[in-house]
Amino acid sequence: MSKKVPKEQYEKTFSYKFKRWLDGTKDPFLGTVEMKPQEEFREDQDALERRKRDRKRNEERVYDLERNAELRVFQKVYNIFGVLFCVFLVVMLLTAVSWLPTYGEADKPVNNEVSARYIENGLQETGAVNIVTGMILDYRAFDTLGESHVLFVATCTVLILLRLDRKEDQERFDANDRLHEPKNDVILQTVAKILVPPIMIFGIYIILAGHLGPGGGFSGGAVIGAGLILYLNAFGFVRMERFFTAKTYRRLSFCALACYSLAKSYSFYTGANHIESIIPLGTPGAILSSGLILILNICVGIVVAGTMYTFYVMFRKGGY
Amino acid sequence: MGKGMESLDKAYGILLIGILIVLAVFVVLCLIRAVIGPRIADRILAANMMGTMVSVMIAILAFLLGEGYLVDICMIYAMISFLAVIVLTKVYMGVYAEKKQRDETLTDGQDVSENSRLGQESPGEEELQYDRV
Amino acid sequence: MTVFEWVRFLAGAALLLSGLAIFLIEMIGVFRFKYVLNRMHAAAMGDTLGIGLCFLGLIVMWGFCFTSLKLFLVIAFLWFSSPVSSHLIARLEVTTNEDQKKHFDIEALDEKLPESGGKEEL
Repeated sequence: MSKKVPKEQYEKTFSYKFKRWLDGTKDPFLGTVEMKPQEEFREDQDALERRKRDRKRNEERVYDLERNAELRVFQKVYNIFGVLFCVFLVVMLLTAVSWLPTYGEADKPVNNEVSARYIENGLQETGAVNIVTGMILDYRAFDTLGESHVLFVATCTVLILLRLDRKEDQERFDANDRLHEPKNDVILQTVAKILVPPIMIFGIYIILAGHLGPGGGFSGGAVIGAGLILYLNAFGFVRMERFFTAKTYRRLSFCALACYSLAKSYSFYTGANHIESIIPLGTPGAILSSGLILILNICVGIVVAGTMYTFYVMFRKGGY
Repeated sequence: MGKGMESLDKAYGILLIGILIVLAVFVVLCLIRAVIGPRIADRILAANMMGTMVSVMIAILAFLLGEGYLVDICMIYAMISFLAVIVLTKVYMGVYAEKKQRDETLTDGQDVSENSRLGQESPGEEELQYDRV
Repeated sequence: MTVFEWVRFLAGAALLLSGLAIFLIEMIGVFRFKYVLNRMHAAAMGDTLGIGLCFLGLIVMWGFCFTSLKLFLVIAFLWFSSPVSSHLIARLEVTTNEDQKKHFDIEALDEKLPESGGKEEL
């Protein structure tokens, strides 16, 4: 337990001065430069008034369309050239796409023996009916680990930039929050009550059936994130915090990423021989098949859902 | 029997591809509406319509390719476009309310100063000052 | 059996083409009406009936299998969510339009409505 020092002694310590420098409340000239006492700067009402009138007059004179024929012609030419440029861009891109080789022709360089080997042995070695999922979560599971960490780093970056840390900012935002937004909407709330559970179930279905059909962790996580955003928009932050707070997100994403890393990084210690794991492959086409892919899908889905919701909340409010 | 099935396949192909082409033209028309529409609600409406038509196109393509699981994409697309409409309308209503509140505080300040400045400077002098700039 | 297949094809085609006709009427409506709220009437038509008929035609073409159930679920989802979209767009338009008198009249209600329409945050 630290002893509480008196205020004058605290103001002499290094940590107080450093904190004030960090916050920006330190006056760099105080005590170093000889100054006359200044009075507070008060904006003159006349000056404010004059500045506003200036600005209005400036705008009127610059964009004066009746007397300025040049400006009128320029505006029309600008519109036409804008449209022409967009059309040109679209035509160019479509022509380039039409020159691509036909989809699936046998003699094009993309169909070589690498993809043939994966397609032939994919089902047997990974146990997943969906070869793409088998590819990204079994043969190339390390790349997907990197991708999940990229999502995590992106969330960290957004948190650093957009989070409202100081208590005053948070309180000021809370006071103004519902002022700039329409009050709760009965129709939206009723329909959200009916629609959000099916959306969540649909997202979970996409995650779990990732190795049987198109889907997997990324798309399922996006759908779950969309469901959370819908709930937030309908009901507000107070009701959202009953089940999803910052702590929840931290714990979920940490557990998911740790689980994924542990599951797939033991190859660093076993000498890169890690395609086979202890979990048996099972019969292809069943839910509990293909070894680790189901668990990894769930981990990736949780990370993506949390990321989507966090981005929305950070941009909207700056905090949970 | 074989010949019957072939003509049936051809009939399916012609009908569905024709419908796809017509829907594609409709999507381009919706885009024109989104560009022209004078108000914001026009544009949000056009985006919603485009999402619905693209959903139908995806379902028809799923039938043409014979793959049943591509219908999941329709569901996701409808969900995303619904969510987009909700978020956009909330944002624009918030922006409008904020602008109105700021304008109100500004005009209050202006009224007070106007009353205090009556007859202090002649307008001709002011004109000259700003013309020089 | 081919008769059955042809009947299925014709029924599905009829439903699809009627859905397409509704989309065509919707596009004509969206381009000819003069104000957003009028255009929204036309647009909501495509969101509900147009897509309903098209998907019913596709359900007939697929037959009785799992995919038809998925298509039916998409219709149900859209029928729940697109009226809410129309309501929100109309609300945006009514609250942010400056010169409202030009397009529509606002009637004064007899009793005063409560400030917020829904449940307050608990």
